Amino acid sequence: MIWLKNVKLEVGNMVNGGLTETKTETFHLGIREGKIIEQLPHTQPIPQHADEVYDIKGLLAIPTFKEMHNHLDKTYLSLGWKATKPVKNLKERLQFEAEELTELAPTTKQRAKRMIDEILSNGSTHIRTHVNIDPYIGLKNLEGVIEALEEYKHAVTADIIAFPQHGLLRDSMPALMREAMRNGATMVGGLDPAGIDRSIEKSLYETMNIAHEFDADVDIHLHDGGHMGTYTIEKWIEMVEESDWQNRTAISHAFCIGEVPEVKQVELAERLGDNGVAIMSTIPLTKSLPPIQLLDDHGVKVHLGCDGFYDSWSPLGHGDILEKVYKYGQLTRKSDEVSLRDSLKWITGGITALTKTGEYKWPLAEDDASFIFVDAASSAEVVARRPKRAAVMNKGKVVYGSLWCTHELV
Amino acid sequence: MVEEHHPQPSKHLILEADLMKTIWMKNVRMETGFEKENEVVTGTLTEYAHVKIVDGEIKAITQDESQIESGTAVIDAKGKLILPSFREMHIHIDKTYYSGPWKACRPITKGIFTRIEEEQELLPKQLPYAKDRAEKMIELLLRNGHTHIRTHCNIEPTSGLKHLEVTVNALEKYKQHLTYDIVAFPQHGLLRSNSVELMREAMKNGATLVGGVDPATVDRQIDQSLYTTFDIAAEHNAGVDIHLHDPDTLGAFTFERLADYTKEANLKGRVTISHAIALGDLEGQALTDMMAILKDQEIDITTTIPINRPTIPVPTLDQYGLQVSVGHDSLTDHWSPFGTGDTIEKLNMLAERFRLIDEYSINRTWKYASGGITPLDHEGKQVWPQVGDAADFVLVEASCSAEAVARRARIDSVYKNGEKVILPQSESVLINK
Repeated sequence: MIWLKNVKLEVGNMVNGGLTETKTETFHLGIREGKIIEQLPHTQPIPQHADEVYDIKGLLAIPTFKEMHNHLDKTYLSLGWKATKPVKNLKERLQFEAEELTELAPTTKQRAKRMIDEILSNGSTHIRTHVNIDPYIGLKNLEGVIEALEEYKHAVTADIIAFPQHGLLRDSMPALMREAMRNGATMVGGLDPAGIDRSIEKSLYETMNIAHEFDADVDIHLHDGGHMGTYTIEKWIEMVEESDWQNRTAISHAFCIGEVPEVKQVELAERLGDNGVAIMSTIPLTKSLPPIQLLDDHGVKVHLGCDGFYDSWSPLGHGDILEKVYKYGQLTRKSDEVSLRDSLKWITGGITALTKTGEYKWPLAEDDASFIFVDAASSAEVVARRPKRAAVMNKGKVVYGSLWCTHELV
Repeated sequence: MVEEHHPQPSKHLILEADLMKTIWMKNVRMETGFEKENEVVTGTLTEYAHVKIVDGEIKAITQDESQIESGTAVIDAKGKLILPSFREMHIHIDKTYYSGPWKACRPITKGIFTRIEEEQELLPKQLPYAKDRAEKMIELLLRNGHTHIRTHCNIEPTSGLKHLEVTVNALEKYKQHLTYDIVAFPQHGLLRSNSVELMREAMKNGATLVGGVDPATVDRQIDQSLYTTFDIAAEHNAGVDIHLHDPDTLGAFTFERLADYTKEANLKGRVTISHAIALGDLEGQALTDMMAILKDQEIDITTTIPINRPTIPVPTLDQYGLQVSVGHDSLTDHWSPFGTGDTIEKLNMLAERFRLIDEYSINRTWKYASGGITPLDHEGKQVWPQVGDAADFVLVEASCSAEAVARRARIDSVYKNGEKVILPQSESVLINK
């Protein structure tokens, strides 16, 4: 058994001067085969038969993060500096991307690895990546991304989404998408059934068809705004209901939900919640934000992602998902302990150490021994102050940073 | 890290060194122009050069290594990019939690008055730690490339002049590395809290600018509040920097009155509006009219690039000819738990907020943090550094300023008057680098 000595965990609320603060205590955690087996108060000795002991030295353990919207295949990381080429419109942007893709294809694995490094070093142990499947690049990017992820499989789990960036209803795209699904893609993607495919129903139908054929989950990019966007979501929900694809699909971006009246938002939220359709947001500053709190209140799963960064779409962006919660906190003016603390759930797949009312919830015996160790007083401080990630542990293995192991650094 | 060589000076050089301090910084990368494709900027051109600094001033820039006189101190920049150092233009170093224990904020129930009431209890309690925290904050800002700090400092009946004393002492400790302004800030309302006399005292005891806050919302007397503010400023021949959060028409009206008083007091070019929230609410002709009013009196604007309300239209204001500067305001205190003190990150946020993604647009953002100084002018002509400029700069690990902002380059070292800023090792690194 491996032991983690002196781990700080959040155990409840305490009230100080009329304000709620987070109470923490120090524990030793026993781990076997990647799972937590025992939890001892720090006052008790660690059993003699321990195989290995890591001294956490009182750092706070928080759940590892999930990066839920990314594009590992497009980044310029590891190449030299390049700003975004000015273009007149989306059509030109797509055309430029198509030209550049061929040029970038030989380095996909190298670039994707650098991106995984950056994402992992900030604490994410799961990455959902979209990968271009299009007439220009074929399956080349998919191959590179799969090879890159293969090298990190001890550290990072992944969803690999076949993403028809240049439209699904064109050329031989439906066949190419099926090729991708046979060659390592694990989910079916989609993009703006109205804006790109110009045929909302047909595009969604074809997407669902492929999902059926491969028994796969779906995550659709939806930038289409206003009621055009919400109509698209409604049509998708209808198809989910018809196909019994509940709890298997997601809509990424979904700016449109933030653009319709609140009555409509509530109606959508209820249907999204009933059908287990998740919403992925990258916390945009230049687009309308879907009403994350309202969605959450209606049982919709919301996850955040860094989105593709440093690519032909934008030279900005970084792989620290914690910055997205930080930004969301700024946007929505969260400043008290409980709301800051609770907002960590948007990047952990819903896991928080405490319930909203302050009861102990995580970690429990049998949970994966997956932690980020940080020098912080509570999850609230983590969100507000973004401490350096001292180390990341995935299922009992140190996958980033270093910890003290019985007098030596591992 | 850059390597420093301090050769043993010969005898006659010691004499010269007594009179003048000369260093050569060699292998510095500097921006020299824009690369263009069909008239569109696609990249930034750079060259390597050696810079001679005498008594804090740039005396020569050359690519000819043989000009480096033997026996002078030489620092090898190893190709790092030289950029103008930053000016932190809006911060409160006197009442921070920074470097202290974590504390979230008390929920707001009565707007700004929740915080004012809170301060009456909190500030005396944290006074014993105030100087230490102010120093830690200054050190963070220095590390992040700032060589000028404009801090607001609470002047109100609860604190009297105690915060001013803390602020002056903390800044004086680092005066070798920075210049500063201290804004006497009547946080609890100049009139509302009867702080007029205290403000006059503050101006005699180290404050360099007269501050203020929302004459409408806080003092409930727009004219009387502004009149008194400018009266104090005139008496001490000082500029003004006033917090204005009041929105849309109320804010705009206050700006107009502020411009009137600026003119009357002959303070053209010496007045700053901090936050200027209302500028984010104005559009079209109303915005143009307001910009004309502000420009007439050369009133400049400081913003934190807030994202929780309409951000003021920074690029539009800049194009109109108004000076806009960024500031961090708070790095965790009873007002907000957020804030980093990292101005490269702030510019990155500005770029994201205004969709500045091409080489040219990102290149132009540096000016919001450097008091308007950029290596290239808007046409791409090299204008900095030049012989005669103060040697205030940062060395950055980047190929150009656009990359530095977009990819958030690491600042390798910071120089004020040609002297490297050297600080004790940071105790706790709170913000991930």
